[in-house]
Amino acid sequence: MTELGAPGGTIYDRGYRHYEGPREGRGRRMRAIALAGVRRVLGLKRNWKTKVVPWGLLVLAFGPVLAFIGVRVLFAEAADEFFTYGQYLRIVAGLLLLFAATAGPELLCPDRRQNVLVLIFTRPVTRSDYLVAKLAALLAVMALIAIVPLVVLFVGNTLTAESAATYLRQNLDDLGKILVAGSVLTVFYSLVALAAASLTDRRAVATAGLLGVMLGTSALANILFFTAQFEGRRWVAFLSLSGLPGRFVDWLFGSGFDPGTLADQAGFTGPGYLVAMTVVAVAAAAILTWRVLRLRA
Amino acid sequence: MLVAQVEDLSKRYGTVQALDRVDVELAPGCTGLVGSNGAGKSTLIKLLLGLLVPDQGRATVLGHDVATDSLGVRSRVGYLPEGACLPGDVTAADFVAFMAQLAGLPPRPARERAAEVCYQVGLEEERYRAIGGFSTGMQQRVKLAVALVHDPSLLLLDEPTDGMDPQGREDMLDLIARIRGELGIDVLVSTHLLGDVERVCDRVVMVHGGHVLAQGSIAEVAGTTEPGFGIQLGDNGPDVLAALTAAGLEVRPSADDLLVQGSSDLVRDVAAERGWPLRRMVPRAPSLEETFLRLQAAAGRPPPAEAATPPPAPEAAWGVRR
Repeated sequence: MTELGAPGGTIYDRGYRHYEGPREGRGRRMRAIALAGVRRVLGLKRNWKTKVVPWGLLVLAFGPVLAFIGVRVLFAEAADEFFTYGQYLRIVAGLLLLFAATAGPELLCPDRRQNVLVLIFTRPVTRSDYLVAKLAALLAVMALIAIVPLVVLFVGNTLTAESAATYLRQNLDDLGKILVAGSVLTVFYSLVALAAASLTDRRAVATAGLLGVMLGTSALANILFFTAQFEGRRWVAFLSLSGLPGRFVDWLFGSGFDPGTLADQAGFTGPGYLVAMTVVAVAAAAILTWRVLRLRA
Repeated sequence: MLVAQVEDLSKRYGTVQALDRVDVELAPGCTGLVGSNGAGKSTLIKLLLGLLVPDQGRATVLGHDVATDSLGVRSRVGYLPEGACLPGDVTAADFVAFMAQLAGLPPRPARERAAEVCYQVGLEEERYRAIGGFSTGMQQRVKLAVALVHDPSLLLLDEPTDGMDPQGREDMLDLIARIRGELGIDVLVSTHLLGDVERVCDRVVMVHGGHVLAQGSIAEVAGTTEPGFGIQLGDNGPDVLAALTAAGLEVRPSADDLLVQGSSDLVRDVAAERGWPLRRMVPRAPSLEETFLRLQAAAGRPPPAEAATPPPAPEAAWGVRR
C-alpha cells in the first residue's frame, strides 16, 4: 500500500495487492460450504421472509421446552412433567419433516437453478466435497431441532428436580435415548430431504414432492390396511414413510403404540421400523450420491 | 515459460466433434480466443479447467496436468463463465468472500480480499446489495471479482462483455487491460468479438469448427492476410458485389464500404465498364476480422452449432459490436 502522506491526513493508494497469506486445505473449503449452507437454511443475512419458516419451527421446537422449564423454576409445586421425552420427540418428528422439506431443497436447488455450480466446481472443490458439506449443513441444523431441545429439557428437569444427582442417576438412560432417537431422526430426514432435492432444481417441487410422498404413503398404508383384506397386509406398516420415525420413538421410549392404529395392529416392534428407516435412508443416500456426483458445471 | 499448453486435444459430444486434435500454446500476456458460436472456445476452456475429460490428447496449465491435477489447476486459475451464474439473494461482498474461501483463503482474509477486489472492479457501495438487483454490467463485475479474489496466476474469461451496454463494455475492456498491465496476471479472453481482442490482447488463437485456424501475436496473424481496399462504388449494392466478384476480386461488405482484395486496376475496370462512380478507394490494412473470415472461408468447415442453424446476421458474422 503506497502512502501518499499529506499534512493533516494520510491518503492510501488502494491498489490491487497480491495475496500472500495462508491457503487452507480441503477440510476448510468444505467447512465454508457447510457454514454457508447453515446460514442459508436459517435465512441469516437474507431477507426476513426467508427467516419465517426456519425460525418459526425453531420457536415451536424450543418454545414449549423453555416455557416448561420456566414454569418449574417459578412454581416449584408444578413439579410434574407436562410431557415425557418420548411424547415431545413425537411432536419434534413432525417439525423435523416440515423443516427437512424446506431446508433440503434450500440447500441444493438454488445452486443448480441459478447455475452457481459452474463457479463452485471451478474452485478446487470436488463433487464429493460439495455433497458431504451440504449433508453436514443439514445434519447440523436438523440436530438443532431433533436433539438440542430435548437435551435442554433433560438439563432443565435435572436442575429443577429436588435432587439433581438423584434425577440424573435415575433418568440417565433417557439422555441416551434422546441422543439415539434424535440422531436417527436427523439422519433419516436429512438424507430423504436431500435426495428429493437432488431430483429437481425447483425448491417448491422438491418440498411438495417430499411431503406428498411421506404423507401420501402413510395415507395409502392406512387405507390398504383398514379397507383391504389380503395375506400379509400388516407389512404395509412399513409403507408409511412418515410413520416410521414416530413408531421407532414410541418403541424406544416404551410408550407403546396408540390403540387401534395401524402400528398397534400390525404387530411390529421398534427394530423392524429401524431397519425400514435404514433401508429408506440407504436408498436416499444412493440417489443423492448418484445425482450429485453426476452434476455438470 | 508457457502459461498453458494443449497437445493433440480432442473432445466429442455425441455426434458433434467439438475439438479435433487441437494444439495450442498460451504464452504469458493477454491472449484472445476467438471463433464463431460453437467453434469450440468454451469446450477448450472447460478442458483447461479440468471440468471436461478429453477424448484424446493432453493439456497442462501453469505446469499442472489438467487430467491428473485439476484441483491444482483450479486453485491457481480464475474463471469468468459465460451467462448467468450468480445467486440472487446474496450480497456481492458475501458471495465473493465465500468464493475466496472455496479457493482456500481463511474467512477473515477472504472478507478483506472480497471488499478490496469488489472495489477494484468498480463495485463500491453496491457490493453490500443483493446481486439479484444488479444490472448485467454489474453482474459481470461480480463475476470478475469472483475470478480475481483468490489472486490467480491465470484468468480465463468466457465472453466477458456479453450482454453489456457500450459504456459497460468499455469499462470491462479497461479492467481486463489493467489486470494484465498492472496486476501482471495472464489472461485468456474467449470472445466472438474480434474488436475486443484487438483492443486488449497481444496474442490471438483462432478456432473454427473444432480446429485451430491460426495462433500467434495479433500482428503475426493479421499479417497473413494481404492488404486490400475499402471502396465505395455506385450504391455498393448486390450488383456491384456480384460484378466485382465476377472480375476475380475477393469482396466482403462491411458497415460503410466494401472490402476488396486484389488488383485496384480490376476495380477501376469494373467501374468504367458499368459506369458506376467510384466515390472512394482507400488502402486498408487487414484487420483481425478480415483475417479470421479469410481463414474461416479457406477452412471451409462450418462450425457444428451453426451447421444446423440459420446463418448469422451480417453484423454478427463480422463481429461488429452489438
